[in-house]
Amino acid sequence: MKSLERSHPTVTLLYFLAVTLPVMLCMEPLLLCISLAGALALLFSRTGGRNIRTLLYFLALLLLIALVNPLFQHDGVTVLFFLNGNPVTWEAIAFGLCAGAMTLAVLCWFLSMSQMMTTDKYLCVFGALSPKLSLMLSMALRFVPLFTKRMHAVRLAQRGLGLYRDGTLPDKLRGELRVFSVTVTWALENGIHTADSMEARGYGTGRRTAYAEYDFHAWDGALLALILLMLALTLCGLLTDAVAVTFYPALVRAERGVLAALTYAAYTLLSFLPTLLTVQEKIKWHFLQSKI
Amino acid sequence: MIVIQNARLRSFLRILTLLLIPSVAVLGYFLLRGTGYVVTSVTVASLSVVLFLCGFDRRKTGSRRLVLVSVMIALSVLGRFFPLLKPVTAVAVITGVYLGMEAGFLTGAFSALISNFYYGQGPWTPFQMFAWGILAFLAGALARPLQKSRTLLCLYGALSGILYSLIMDIWSAVFASGGFSLPIYLAKVVTALPHTVLYAVSNVIFLFLMAKPFGEKLTRIKRKYGV
Repeated sequence: MKSLERSHPTVTLLYFLAVTLPVMLCMEPLLLCISLAGALALLFSRTGGRNIRTLLYFLALLLLIALVNPLFQHDGVTVLFFLNGNPVTWEAIAFGLCAGAMTLAVLCWFLSMSQMMTTDKYLCVFGALSPKLSLMLSMALRFVPLFTKRMHAVRLAQRGLGLYRDGTLPDKLRGELRVFSVTVTWALENGIHTADSMEARGYGTGRRTAYAEYDFHAWDGALLALILLMLALTLCGLLTDAVAVTFYPALVRAERGVLAALTYAAYTLLSFLPTLLTVQEKIKWHFLQSKI
Repeated sequence: MIVIQNARLRSFLRILTLLLIPSVAVLGYFLLRGTGYVVTSVTVASLSVVLFLCGFDRRKTGSRRLVLVSVMIALSVLGRFFPLLKPVTAVAVITGVYLGMEAGFLTGAFSALISNFYYGQGPWTPFQMFAWGILAFLAGALARPLQKSRTLLCLYGALSGILYSLIMDIWSAVFASGGFSLPIYLAKVVTALPHTVLYAVSNVIFLFLMAKPFGEKLTRIKRKYGV
């Protein structure tokens, strides 16, 4: 058993698409709560309290969305009060809260995804689609730190020559632009040299091979199957309206049945899957450590 | 890494994408009865980016050109680290004007993708990729008049700042309310007004300052090495 982070990148990426899809399709309050709980559990199990500030910012966003909606949406039968002659309805507030919760859940999931999916993993997944584009992508990714370093070197050289004074703002701006300009000239020439060097070593003469750190093991297949099964069950419930909600004119949630229970169960398992795997790995590590 | 070597399979995928875009839009509208706006819009935006990229892969591109485009991508990603005023659109537009439409689209789309590795990936990435890509692509289509007159180029910069904001407002309106309605969109446009002005102003400033030196450098490289 491996954690989601150490599984094959395709599995990791598909997991995050699968877990965010249901909440983007349906703003059912219970479904949103499950998703949000799963996303937060994953964040805290992996990084502890390191993301509190980002989460608070997200929370402010939720409240903003929840407050803005009733100002523009006046449908709904339960009028709470009037603001400037416009009715503020409970349904509009509920819709705003659910939309905000959806935003919050999706943002939290993608926060975890950004931490897990490093650039080499994206290249591993999308390299299959186009070898040329993934080569370009990986070159550009490498150029970013290279140019930053080169810009720093140019800045030091300019300062050494006495050309770069950071006294006044226009002076600073002009100096910064000159540094940028020098870097650009160097970068373009360097790019041509890189291309020539590539060609001299036989780029484009045959099939490109790539070093891939990730192998697709049986465990990855099993995990992927489980994820897809849970997604299919959830979508069954959503598309047959076993789990559904309408906000206007009145807040109505679908009747609970067996299918609804199954949907919630499947989505709960899907949402807490990575947390379970992470915790499992941590426990294993703990016991392995104490044995040594 | 699995590489699709079969050219026929690749062209099949390309045609599939072309057919998928309208069908996803229509299906999303009817099947999901308005609840799936977010999913539908993200899918359509990503497929449009894929469609452009597929067209690029078919052409035989020299390795020099390929590397030059990645250099421009890296430069525009660096530009996004500047505080307040961002020259990303300006660099992508200049690439479009001097290296062609496709190079422009690639620079715009990939600088959105790569800079989001630093700023956070999310469902908004395809929208940003599409917005920056298409603006640089259009600049490439208008290359001749834009190369000749700096005033026109700055005008295009201001316009593209506004357009970028309008495209991204579609996304924030859909995402914030789970559906699309004109009043919410207009509210988003109004609240994003300071950003819109900032985009337009920074585009004009950077295009005014960089167009000539950048153009000279790129023309020189093109002439010197015959790209």
